[in-house]
Amino acid sequence: MKRALRFLGAWSLLTVSVALAVSPSPPAPPANAKCPVCGMFVAKFPKWVGVIRFGDSSYAWFDGTKDLFTYLLDPAKHDPAGKRMDIAAVYVKDYYTLGTIDGRSAFYVFGSDVLGPMGKELVPFAKKDDAEGFLRDHRGKKVLRFDEITRTTLKAME
Amino acid sequence: MNRTVERHRNILDFALSSLLRRKGKNLSLWVVYTIVVFLIAAIVFYTHALKREAALVLQGAPDMVVQKMVAGRQDLVPVAYAGKIAALRGVSSVRPRCWGYYFDPISGANYTLVASESPSPAPGAVDIGSGVARVLRVGRGDLLPIRSSSGAPMLLTVRKVLPCVSELVAADLIVMSEGDLRDLFRIPRDLATDLAVTVANSDELATLAVKISQRFPDSRPILKSEILRTYDSIFDWRGGMMVVVLAVAVLSFVIFAWDKATGLSAEERKEIGILKSVGWETGDVLLLKFWEGAVISLSAFLCGVVLAYFQVFFLSASLFEPALKGWAVLYPRFRLVPEVDPYQLVVLFFLTVVPYTIATIVPSWRAATVDPDAAMRS
Repeated sequence: MKRALRFLGAWSLLTVSVALAVSPSPPAPPANAKCPVCGMFVAKFPKWVGVIRFGDSSYAWFDGTKDLFTYLLDPAKHDPAGKRMDIAAVYVKDYYTLGTIDGRSAFYVFGSDVLGPMGKELVPFAKKDDAEGFLRDHRGKKVLRFDEITRTTLKAME
Repeated sequence: MNRTVERHRNILDFALSSLLRRKGKNLSLWVVYTIVVFLIAAIVFYTHALKREAALVLQGAPDMVVQKMVAGRQDLVPVAYAGKIAALRGVSSVRPRCWGYYFDPISGANYTLVASESPSPAPGAVDIGSGVARVLRVGRGDLLPIRSSSGAPMLLTVRKVLPCVSELVAADLIVMSEGDLRDLFRIPRDLATDLAVTVANSDELATLAVKISQRFPDSRPILKSEILRTYDSIFDWRGGMMVVVLAVAVLSFVIFAWDKATGLSAEERKEIGILKSVGWETGDVLLLKFWEGAVISLSAFLCGVVLAYFQVFFLSASLFEPALKGWAVLYPRFRLVPEVDPYQLVVLFFLTVVPYTIATIVPSWRAATVDPDAAMRS
């Protein structure tokens, strides 16, 4: 019985650690973390936090999806030393649930009347239905996927 | 550096002995000054603490409450609304709540009856607030008789008395099972008093409120921020009423202080003349008068503020009770959490100490610039 319990314990530990290795949810931004693009303190805007995890398991926090994409589309400009170029994962916050979701598979609403800390924003959603519903409620213009967001999109939000 | 300190020390020494020479005048001034600072500080502390208490209480309140209106009055809301509201985008959960008020003719008090989900008392059992226990003189294990809407009495067993910590919210509370509450008020199963809505992203609250009132035109969504604002304005109004009364007190103090501080007596004028003729400069005389004013106003300010703090946070503002209490039978007994806003203290300081000190210096300056010979002869 004892052995069985011990085995069960070890097995559950293993599955938990495997699950963590597959999708490690990013840590909350530290109080002194600044957005690499605009320099604002990120922890003040928990609803809008975007996160990049780099290959070396270090993180960069952003106070909005717009700044996150500004960085992603031109990393060399914001990291001239080129130390952190390999991007392992991108995380954003679902507007409705405020849960952390995968940024690469998220749906982004462009041109809505909801403003983030840096003004006009790309508002992220995990589900397409939610994104389309939000677009209707908040007079959005388009639902975009991760790859469809370009510098022109960002330029249009300035 | 050392010389400057020594000069100030000597002048302060002189100022203190000069204050002591006119004991009667200065003491009466000090007493009135202290009373005014005490009253203003006590009101500022009291309203601030009450607002803070209300904010703490409302922390656990739902983000939005949805009521149903019939002819402009609140009515029971269909439980079926809950499912439809929960399906709206952005809503985390919707919980139908059952509660009501009960007037007890024996004690003449009003109680708040709430059906609790978790941990709910068993049917036939209730948890009561300490105020209810005090008024009805019941304790754990006793029977609590309540007259139901049908006229039949209901006997409920007291399971426990809620702890005193929650006195401000829970003094008049009777928590019972949902079934008992529905039987008591004859609320049908498909209706509830209101719906408590939880929303993950508070930015979406306004949009949701609009959607709900469009989808259910007979409903009234109330946001938590609106409740907070109402509480704020209630306490502000009460504070405001007291401040209007106090403004009169302050004004009379200003007239009193002005009279005492500015009207230099012939004797004081002569004193300034003598000081100047023995070699004091105008600056020294001004410094002397400044120290005199500062000693009185600073000590009165400190005393008033400390007394006010003691009155509000240790005696629970017993002086204001007749003015602030309403007409209820059952009152919560609670002690306010001591907290003082530095900003308010600074405002109070600049409203009292600074004007008084200036009021004492100006006439002395005018007296000090007069020729000493003329001052002594007059």
